Amino acid sequence: MDWQGQKLSEQLMQIMLVAVAVAAYVTGFMIESFRIMMLIYAGGVVLIALITVQNWPLFNRHPLKWLEPSVADEYSKEPPQQQAAAASSGKKKSTKK
Amino acid sequence: MHSFGYRLNALLTLGVTTLALMCAMASFSDNFNHPSPSANVQVMNVNWFQKQSSGNDEVSLTLKISADLQSTFTWNTKQVFAFLAAEYETPGNSLNQISLWDSIIPSKERAKFTIHTKNKYRLIDQGSNLRGKEFNLTLHWHVMPKTGKMFADKIVMTGYRLPVDYR
Repeated sequence: MDWQGQKLSEQLMQIMLVAVAVAAYVTGFMIESFRIMMLIYAGGVVLIALITVQNWPLFNRHPLKWLEPSVADEYSKEPPQQQAAAASSGKKKSTKK
Repeated sequence: MHSFGYRLNALLTLGVTTLALMCAMASFSDNFNHPSPSANVQVMNVNWFQKQSSGNDEVSLTLKISADLQSTFTWNTKQVFAFLAAEYETPGNSLNQISLWDSIIPSKERAKFTIHTKNKYRLIDQGSNLRGKEFNLTLHWHVMPKTGKMFADKIVMTGYRLPVDYR
């Protein structure tokens, strides 16, 4: 999932869960059946799991833009922490060019 | 919400916490139930009344117990446990309570009943104080919930007396 998708999934999960809990409690209270309350709630939780836990396409509508590989290469020599690693890889690159 | 497992865990945790809250609310709703139970017990017969070799009095009774505990049931009730206790005072003990009979009532329909029975549990005194003894028969009940708080109450019926002599 992308970041926007994660946020949407979390919000959907929380709102739906509260709604299912309220619906289950009120229904159970009205018809005086504890069993019905538990069944509605359990069914609701399974439904929410199917909708929000699985990585559906709708959660990937704002994909992250990764850089192109050739552009990334140019920047790899600059950061100082990577100079020790770049020193060995730098040798490789100079022979390639 | 970084992975499938993360999201599943978040859902289950919130789900269980919410379930606990719903159960607490269900138990709380029991407070709005105001039961109106009734009970009546008749001692049909004193079967026998002896002093045992231990020196303690024992009596056997046949009882007719009728009660209506239907109004104690709520949507959050698992069962009602009812028992009948004989209560009396002796020089040694300010209160003696002896359970004579009990029953588990699993549903509202079975909560209105009349039964004829010998006492299920033996009525044995601590000592020899039962001749001519005046006693109460109290029907106690515990409303056992599906979740949460258990409510207990009783009806005291007075005016019973044991025979003056052994038989």
